[in-house]
Amino acid sequence: MTALIKTTPVAYAQHEQKQTMGVHNGMEVALSFEGAAKEKAHKQVLGVTDVGCFAKFGIKGPKAAEWLAQQGLKTPDEINSWVEGAPGTLVLRLGGSEFLVEDQFKGNACAGLTSFNQANTAGAYQVARADAAFILSGSQALNLLSELCVMDLRDKALASEAVVMTQVAGISATFLRESLAGEQVYRVWCDVSYGPYMWEMLLEVAQELGGGAVGLTARFQ
Amino acid sequence: MKLLNCPMNGVRPLSEFLFGGEFREMPNPDTSGDLEWASYVHYRNNAPCIKKEWWYHSPSGTWFIAERNTLSDEVLATYLYGKAPVAAKTTKPRAKKEQSA
Repeated sequence: MTALIKTTPVAYAQHEQKQTMGVHNGMEVALSFEGAAKEKAHKQVLGVTDVGCFAKFGIKGPKAAEWLAQQGLKTPDEINSWVEGAPGTLVLRLGGSEFLVEDQFKGNACAGLTSFNQANTAGAYQVARADAAFILSGSQALNLLSELCVMDLRDKALASEAVVMTQVAGISATFLRESLAGEQVYRVWCDVSYGPYMWEMLLEVAQELGGGAVGLTARFQ
Repeated sequence: MKLLNCPMNGVRPLSEFLFGGEFREMPNPDTSGDLEWASYVHYRNNAPCIKKEWWYHSPSGTWFIAERNTLSDEVLATYLYGKAPVAAKTTKPRAKKEQSA
């Protein structure tokens, strides 16, 4: 039996780019675009990476935090904040009782959460998550965000553990900053149906500012 | 830019919000008379005053109540339904420039 391979939601916006596709976490995504040297340069100026392939798990309800703790995950105490719930896994608190868990490149906590059984779990409800997800990095990242978002997202205004739900390029998005291999990067999630639009907007501004697309391989080398 | 204070997410531009209509207490449908129920369903008070309104912060999916002076468009407080009101951190609308003759 052949396992189903999904395709990244932003693939529809990448058809004119000469990317090399590959499968990560059961999803076909762009591994590289223009070669390692060029993508490394883009990362330093303004690199945009599609990470929609990272595994996600959504849960909400008055017992959601308790259930996640039972699975060995740390959860943020504050609304609109995030923690590394397990090595390589982010846990975002999106409201009083709603959480988004996302494995990073080497995280695998979400696999253990598939044991969730609604029939045995009162007060917690799984939320299907299929967000488009991106990483922004580089010296020009804040300039890109200042063009696409009205919020002040500079370091002084954005706490390192804060999750911001706002509009980016006119659509609802969730946003945070984190450190990735010693480099400060910004994470953006949006509804999957807006994935191609968001990719085009981020890339268009990135290219204006001297950056460009960065594949998954170059991002996590 | 006009701002509104979401009780869950803080001060945000008005473009992130949707207006959900006036908040009005629903009479008990089991005990209210036809006149009271018809008034609730059909009548609206359009006179300028401080009104409670439903507002929706679309990026986070948060519904909340805003108390707004519909004459001056000043928001006095925003809070989650059922929670105590807190002072709003909204900007007062800019005074209109006087028209020169």
